[in-house]
Amino acid sequence: MAYSSEHDEIPNPLRAGLRGDAVPEPCAVVVFGGSGDLAHRKILPALYNLALNAHLPAAFGVVGVSRSEYTDEQYRAEMREAVGRFSRTQPVQEDVWKDFAAGLRYCAGSFDDPSTYRRLGEVLQELDRTRATRGNRLFYLATPPSTFPVILRNLKDAGLINKDGEGPFTRVVVEKPFGHDLASARELNRLLLQVCDEKQIFRIDHYLGKETVQNLLVFRFANAIFEPVWNRRYVDQVQITAGEELGIEQRGGYYEEAGVLRDMLQNHVLQLLTLTAMEPPVAFDADAVRDEKLKVLRAIVPLDSPEQVRKRLVLGQYREGSVAGMGVPGYQQEKGVAPGSKTPTFVALKLCINNWRWDGVPFYLRSGKRLPKRATEIAVHFSGLPHSLFDNGPTQPNVLIIHVQPEEGITLRFAAKVPGEGYRPRMVSMDFRYGTAFGNSTPEAYERLLLDAMRGDQTLFTRKDEVEAAWRLIDGILQVVERGEGVVPYPYPAGTWGPSEADALLAADGRQWRRL
Amino acid sequence: MIAAGEGGASPELEARFAKGIDLQKIRALLFEAREQAGLPAETVCVLNLLAVHFSTAAYERSKASLEGASALHPARLISLIAEPKLSPEQVIARVSTVRPKGSASALEHIVLTAQGGAVRHLESAVTGLLVPEVPLAVVWGGRPEGDLLRHVAESADRVIIDSGTRPVQALADVAALLARGAPLGDLAWARIYPWQALAADVLDLPRLREHRGNVVSARVTAAGEPGPEAALLAGWFQSRVRQARVELSAGPSSGGDVVELRFEAPPAVFTLRRENWILAAEVRGDDDGELVHRVRVPPDAPGRLLGMELQLLSGQDALYAAAVAQAVRFLGGRGTNSVQARK
Repeated sequence: MAYSSEHDEIPNPLRAGLRGDAVPEPCAVVVFGGSGDLAHRKILPALYNLALNAHLPAAFGVVGVSRSEYTDEQYRAEMREAVGRFSRTQPVQEDVWKDFAAGLRYCAGSFDDPSTYRRLGEVLQELDRTRATRGNRLFYLATPPSTFPVILRNLKDAGLINKDGEGPFTRVVVEKPFGHDLASARELNRLLLQVCDEKQIFRIDHYLGKETVQNLLVFRFANAIFEPVWNRRYVDQVQITAGEELGIEQRGGYYEEAGVLRDMLQNHVLQLLTLTAMEPPVAFDADAVRDEKLKVLRAIVPLDSPEQVRKRLVLGQYREGSVAGMGVPGYQQEKGVAPGSKTPTFVALKLCINNWRWDGVPFYLRSGKRLPKRATEIAVHFSGLPHSLFDNGPTQPNVLIIHVQPEEGITLRFAAKVPGEGYRPRMVSMDFRYGTAFGNSTPEAYERLLLDAMRGDQTLFTRKDEVEAAWRLIDGILQVVERGEGVVPYPYPAGTWGPSEADALLAADGRQWRRL
Repeated sequence: MIAAGEGGASPELEARFAKGIDLQKIRALLFEAREQAGLPAETVCVLNLLAVHFSTAAYERSKASLEGASALHPARLISLIAEPKLSPEQVIARVSTVRPKGSASALEHIVLTAQGGAVRHLESAVTGLLVPEVPLAVVWGGRPEGDLLRHVAESADRVIIDSGTRPVQALADVAALLARGAPLGDLAWARIYPWQALAADVLDLPRLREHRGNVVSARVTAAGEPGPEAALLAGWFQSRVRQARVELSAGPSSGGDVVELRFEAPPAVFTLRRENWILAAEVRGDDDGELVHRVRVPPDAPGRLLGMELQLLSGQDALYAAAVAQAVRFLGGRGTNSVQARK
């Protein structure tokens, strides 16, 4: 029976009031790049944990597609080892794994060879017969962006993509980076929309799968006390930091192309900014939330002249140094990096949002590799006191910090009286930590995102116009940087918080970065 | 910060009180237990979980479940064991801190065993041991009836019972309490959740949504005489689909557990069956008639059901209250519903 959206108008009488979320429809997940790092470390362990927690339908299968030659049995053994190493829950429950592995298949082949897709089609039909997956497919492109066009074209030619609303579902999950610049992102969107509808496309940004990032919406819109002060009247500045201890690991080739602007700023950091700055959505659904995020991106004052970029942006590149007690090489000594490379590994940036809520409030963003510690957070700095009643000068302003990683939680910094005589205020912290306030171990971001994609919920995935708006903003900066118009990365020793020019960026406004 | 790991418990510290209960002493033991376990002075606590038992054996049976649920909802756990027939008259307090395996937080566990006439002092002792400003959830280990339960229901934010351990007719007492506004939760209700979720899931499938408004009848079949869970499932269905004629029927075998839920939306007939750890849904009469959905029944880890019921920390679960009221109507044989023996 053909699906008609008119039936969405009739509420499901049995759904009302039930506490849990719906288990996804029967389906097969096809992982392109099935023998790759992401499949080993994230995707398969996430799927296993979903099975462990009974979030998957029993009618379920997974197909890995890669060039490497494996039999189904060899692939199962390889993935069993990966789940044993990388699953957040240990030890692996053998009965759950056995059941999960029974639906695990492998299809070896080159992505540009049509016969790969014929064989894939046969494997999927076999899963439909033996695992009752009913023709529903989720294609996960865990491959370099350069392979997306050829994979999508071949999937379409092989008849493996159904139109939205016609028969079993087809959905496509696309890993970052989504494009290299605005033009390539538009081209990729054009290509995706040639083979499927926007409703079938899930552009993943794994930061959005993190509990704390989702909690930002609950924190802002499910508490009455914060929203009244979440604006230019009470907020002095916002600082967003996404720091990593790690260098570029074995990804020199990728990083030389991407740099910190494409690798972190265009996606993760701007996502954190939009969630912090957005207006309340009219409803909690995918389009309403993404509409509000898009409005923020459109209200950001673009940095599109060399003067603006030089004034509001600082780039850095790490040199040899010491991180966590270990000597580490500089960026230019890393494998795959060209001598004399000008690829930035650090960015500090001041953005302004021209709207009623945020006019005049600077948003300072910084992100980098080989910083002293792994720390991602959003710090909302409130305005100072108009007048101090107490001795020892004015107290520091209140700061609300949303910790994204490694620990997920929220801290409020406020003044308290030092015990004893007199009234000496001192700043103290009130902490909320997810790990202790809720006993459940927090699901991995990929678990939540995979489950949402299987359910067809796009709220935590970026929409076409949103991703293009983010690129439009970064593109202006990239053009200035890549033309070499006086914006070059300053060196900073590994294990420091970037070049001193990043401090000067805030010092010019009479502010300083939070000490992390 | 306490790192999540293998879990463990501090040594159990004990104090006995022949006359009155020295709450200060119990608090001192808690402090000592935390110190011995190397825990910080502050603890994370989102609720007071008070478990009431009427024998030590009953407490021992539910201990793993209580501690498992406290791992999901960090709590101060106070277990009361009332042994009015034992002597001498005394209260024994045993205090420990427990860090459930895999949990980042530790829970404080106080076990108060009252013997003889000391039972009557338990309530006042508990009041002094509750963490202020967080909800009080009571796990009631006795029959879901009586003045004491009524009194507990009036003072707690939530009271969790297990009607699955009682004869199905006891649902009438539960309905009476609910009618007075008691904030009851029920482990039997949590047990039938996978059936409810699967039934809702199949009507969410895009090709089957058109049947949502056309459900005309349903039948819940139990293994032998229907037990409380079968009655609750039938009651839930009836309360959600008022126009449907719902039957509760006895199948072969025994035990009273739910074995099948079938509902009709002509021409489609939906059948949900349990096959070991899988719940499978089939549809017949629809163009797509076949097996449409299969889900795993979640593994029965200790505390899972209690943890589910504690997702609601205060007030009444309106869905449950409506289901109980309807189930009691079934059992009374009134209205359009019926209990049938299946040949």
